Amino acid sequence: MYDGQPDRGPEKTPRCVLAETDAGTELERARRAAEEGALVAAAARGSTAAFEQLYRIHVGKVYGLCLRMTANTATAEDCTQDAFVQAWRNLPTFEQRSRFGTWLHRIAVNAVLAQGRRRRESLGLDAPADELAASLADPGIADAGALRDLEAEIARLPAGARQVLVLAGLYGYSHEETASMLGIAVGTCKAQLHRARQILSARLDAWEVES
Amino acid sequence: MTQTERDATRRLDEALDRLPRSVNPAQDLWPVIEARLQSGGTRSRARWAWQAAAAVLLVVGSSVLTASLMRRDEVGVAGSPKPAPAAVEVTPAAYGPAYTPDPGYLAARQQLAKMLETRIDRLPRSARQKLEANLAEVRRATAEINAALALQPGDPLLEELLLNAYQDELAVLASVNDMTGTNGAVASPDEKRVQL
Repeated sequence: MYDGQPDRGPEKTPRCVLAETDAGTELERARRAAEEGALVAAAARGSTAAFEQLYRIHVGKVYGLCLRMTANTATAEDCTQDAFVQAWRNLPTFEQRSRFGTWLHRIAVNAVLAQGRRRRESLGLDAPADELAASLADPGIADAGALRDLEAEIARLPAGARQVLVLAGLYGYSHEETASMLGIAVGTCKAQLHRARQILSARLDAWEVES
Repeated sequence: MTQTERDATRRLDEALDRLPRSVNPAQDLWPVIEARLQSGGTRSRARWAWQAAAAVLLVVGSSVLTASLMRRDEVGVAGSPKPAPAAVEVTPAAYGPAYTPDPGYLAARQQLAKMLETRIDRLPRSARQKLEANLAEVRRATAEINAALALQPGDPLLEELLLNAYQDELAVLASVNDMTGTNGAVASPDEKRVQL
């Protein structure tokens, strides 16, 4: 059975990383892709057991995406559930031209946007940004405190800038893909990313001065 | 870009790279998801299905009433000429792979199409051609929206567009009702009435 780890980092692997990748890793990646393909096919035929395995593999990245986009834990959980239910319903039409993870993320983004429209209000923090950041940061790593502060700053960004930063700056989508998913112009996407980066850079500079 | 700005950009990129992409929810969401899978559709889907069902019931209902009135009128008109064979047929729609409509909706739609077939025969040739062109246009749009939905499942805007396209198709079919009138004659030859 599939025992691979959830996808980490942007979907597009930088060339320099590819060049350093050894044959064993490539083989492992191919094996994981093949096993995931088999799980997708089984789930498309109606196997909830296979779909549960797909859920276990992808839930972390989907929830992380939803939580960072909404900055709201309850809404992020709802969106994650909606995304997996939608994926289940539409699996028979998934043609595997793209990776399952990429397809699933698009569904998750749609779920986030649909939640926003249903509520007819901008999604906001349901807890102080610091508490939200604490749920995002891994306390086991060396610079957990600094990363928690960064997460808190991301959560405090205006919704539009935050969503663009999450998709383009964190999850590696191109401006075109991000703009398409959010239903905004490519120029707006670039401007929002620039704005988000400026705010975060200013905060990083301030922390450096303080420390 | 100055060296200071380049340094700031690099620092931010490094910090963003260190953030974990994968974050596990505080509670396992699978039991709720599994329950939703087993209980059927999502809320948006259910809303869509009900709206479609309501639209088709409205049109079928009015058509049944009109058809019954028409039959009664036909009994009273002895020796009426039999209509010419249909040049236009209400063919099954190509809905595309993503969103197969509810079977109940399809059955009701077929019933409506069958009832309207005889009435389409009574339209002038130009009006029939217009009707055929309009139906083809609506179905092409429906297939394209379905193709887009296959790539972006659950997109609320696309779902809304799909529902609108189904309702447009029903509106075109219903316009046949209006044009032929209750006695089977063409009430108004104005082709604009077929237009969406």
